[in-house]
Amino acid sequence: MATELENIQLEPARRQFLKGAAALATTLLAPGILLYQTGQASTAPGQQPRWGLLIDTNILSEADVDACVSACQREHGWKADADSPTDAQWIRKVKLSDPATGYQNFLPMMCQHCAQPPCVDVCPTGASFKRADGIVLVNKHTCIGCRYCMMACPYKARSFIHENLKDQLPVAPRGKGTVESCTLCVHRIDRDGADAVPACAEAVNQGGRKAILFGDLNDPQSEISNRLRELGAVKLRADMDLDPAVRYQGL
Amino acid sequence: MVQSYPSLLRLLALIILLGVSAVGLVAAAEPASSFGQVTIPSPPRPAEAINCVEPVEVMRRDHMKFLLHQRDATVLDGERDKKYSLVGCMDCHNPASANEEIVRYEDAEHFCASCHNYASVKIDCFECHADRGLASSQQSRLTLWADTQAFSMQTFRHQMGQPRGD
Amino acid sequence: MQPTMRYTEIKTSTPRYWGIVAVFTVIALIGFAAAHHMDVEGHHITGMSNQIVWGLPHVFAIFLIVAASGALNLASLSSVFGKQTYKPLARFSAILAVALLIGGLAILLLDLGRPERLIVAMTHYNFKSIFAWNIILYTGFIVIVMAYLWLMMERRMHRWTKPAGLAALIWRLLLTTGTGSIFGFLVAREAFDSALLAPMFIVMSFAFGLAIFILLLMLSFRLDQRELDGSQLQRLRKLLGIFIAGVFYFVVVFHLTKLYGTQNHDFERFILVEGGIYTQLFWLVQIGLGNLLPLALIYAPRLQGSSPALVSACVLVILGAFAQLYVIIVGGQAFPLDIFPGYVVESSFFDGAIGEYSPSLWEFLLGLGGAGCAALIALLGIRVLPIMPESLPAEVD
Repeated sequence: MATELENIQLEPARRQFLKGAAALATTLLAPGILLYQTGQASTAPGQQPRWGLLIDTNILSEADVDACVSACQREHGWKADADSPTDAQWIRKVKLSDPATGYQNFLPMMCQHCAQPPCVDVCPTGASFKRADGIVLVNKHTCIGCRYCMMACPYKARSFIHENLKDQLPVAPRGKGTVESCTLCVHRIDRDGADAVPACAEAVNQGGRKAILFGDLNDPQSEISNRLRELGAVKLRADMDLDPAVRYQGL
Repeated sequence: MVQSYPSLLRLLALIILLGVSAVGLVAAAEPASSFGQVTIPSPPRPAEAINCVEPVEVMRRDHMKFLLHQRDATVLDGERDKKYSLVGCMDCHNPASANEEIVRYEDAEHFCASCHNYASVKIDCFECHADRGLASSQQSRLTLWADTQAFSMQTFRHQMGQPRGD
Repeated sequence: MQPTMRYTEIKTSTPRYWGIVAVFTVIALIGFAAAHHMDVEGHHITGMSNQIVWGLPHVFAIFLIVAASGALNLASLSSVFGKQTYKPLARFSAILAVALLIGGLAILLLDLGRPERLIVAMTHYNFKSIFAWNIILYTGFIVIVMAYLWLMMERRMHRWTKPAGLAALIWRLLLTTGTGSIFGFLVAREAFDSALLAPMFIVMSFAFGLAIFILLLMLSFRLDQRELDGSQLQRLRKLLGIFIAGVFYFVVVFHLTKLYGTQNHDFERFILVEGGIYTQLFWLVQIGLGNLLPLALIYAPRLQGSSPALVSACVLVILGAFAQLYVIIVGGQAFPLDIFPGYVVESSFFDGAIGEYSPSLWEFLLGLGGAGCAALIALLGIRVLPIMPESLPAEVD
């Protein structure tokens, strides 16, 4: 009997103590959390990054673009023989010319990682999907190989594997009967986040120049956002309103 | 006599059933190698004494559960958990040094093939995924790409993280 | 008083009938073998590539699916619109629709890069994709039309025939719209991206389905030596003429509209003038043999009542159908994407270049196999089920 009374009397005290302790703890921890978050990135808390590329074709020579393609080949283990219509090409060198003026330019062309990807809309199984951080990928476990996404892509970015493959690299599983395209080196991004450098960028960004700039488009303080704000860039087939994450300068 | 045909048939069926079961029981009791051509698999153990991912009994039953769950986490969410990753499996179970022959999934002594051939469960993982760990990938890759610069183990570990047990 | 129409299984056991069944069985089996080879070796043995991703198998498949939807027309006319004259043919119309659809669906599924993942396709749906909807529409069509057929065969259920016919009609209009929209929804390619493709496919389905229907009707009646009066065929002939004219109309409107936009001139020039095989197929086979010549055969006063003329018209319509689908599907992919307007583009991935495609034997065998499968199902179906009317005399009212 007495113990019960004691317990009842102690209850309010216990509650008060817990409240006080919680308040103290929050006050101590809150600044730390705030600092930690702001230290991580300037992307607003709760907002995902959106990875993008800024490609400056003014700086890129034809040899540079070839180096991009080779780097991607080495990183992911694909190879395209010249004039083979069935070999996969994740990234390719495109030559633009204007016969009237004699203008010529070279640029690397890969999946544009659109914000509104037509390939994602048309995939019947949802294998073609856009990750929360904006990277457009093919989930090859679910891909049935119908190639409808290849019909739908405005940039012809996707390739279908037409034969049995051997010696795939651990970072890039690829197999017959599925569709693939540039992954923005997602295996590097998953490890390094904003510090990641895709293989194509790594190949051409030598000596401090940033011919291909990778970064977070959602972070207004990132280098890519600053550059875009300063100099602007072009989206390919902009009239389609797909908002690609890959932007070009010098076109 | 005519009416007893159904019961005769039933008796015959019972005898056959019991006979087949007896043969089967006897066969199961014997060591398998003496009964037929099939040997019980003994998958190669990793050379270095590393902690196993899960106890053997758990792995035998549930390794597909881990893999299936992990593959969705990796592809859809970008979570690369070294513990249950397929690359992690291959790093330990089919590492192969640069001097030895590359063991591929088509070979009977491949870690996965040794059990899967015995159980007759066809898998298609290795139609896409590399069926061996780092060193042998490097070796075969070098023969494919003659112009590759020297491969950096450090770079690869940077890409994929350390294997379990390091 | 008119006796009730009797429907019976065809009883013929002539070597001719079994010979035909055997031929179609072999064709179907060869098709499956070709598909298996494509699955084992990969698509590099076909003519399809990263430039032309859908080829001859898809031409066959879309033809069969579109024809399947159109083959149901006569059943709809009798059940839904009350045209009693077509009632005797309704059951045959239904079984033909199911057979053609199964054949077309089989080709599509066997051409997949990973056909063993059919279960994945049936359990993972992206409902924003018209392709996903089509999977539901195609399989649902088979179920609904089989139910409709059963309700027609079971005389006690005759009051359900009209609702079932209506359901089947709506479903098949959705299905054909969906099939046309596979291409119509593709914003990226100049050859597609048009709301006109869906209704065009519906009218195409009328024409193609009826052409096949007439041919197989005449064949089935001849095999079982049943009476088929000319006036019945005359009615079908007139219908076919109207449908062919409808297809022609849509093709004209489609191209005229595209021609009005200067930005489409390169594409139209490719199809109509400079496209080599595509231009030849368009003018000679699709328009000439597929539209104009059949119209002449159907409406020429001297040829009225001529069976050979009708048979020829049907065969030509089918030929024209293949050409039309080839130009739409393959020609539409052959024309390069215009990613950099105003520039000349070159790359190792054939940017800016006309896509090259020559169909391989495997694709042809697969397509033919699907068609053989459809014919087989129809021929066996009329033998096993009471579908064919005993006779089609002059007037059935």
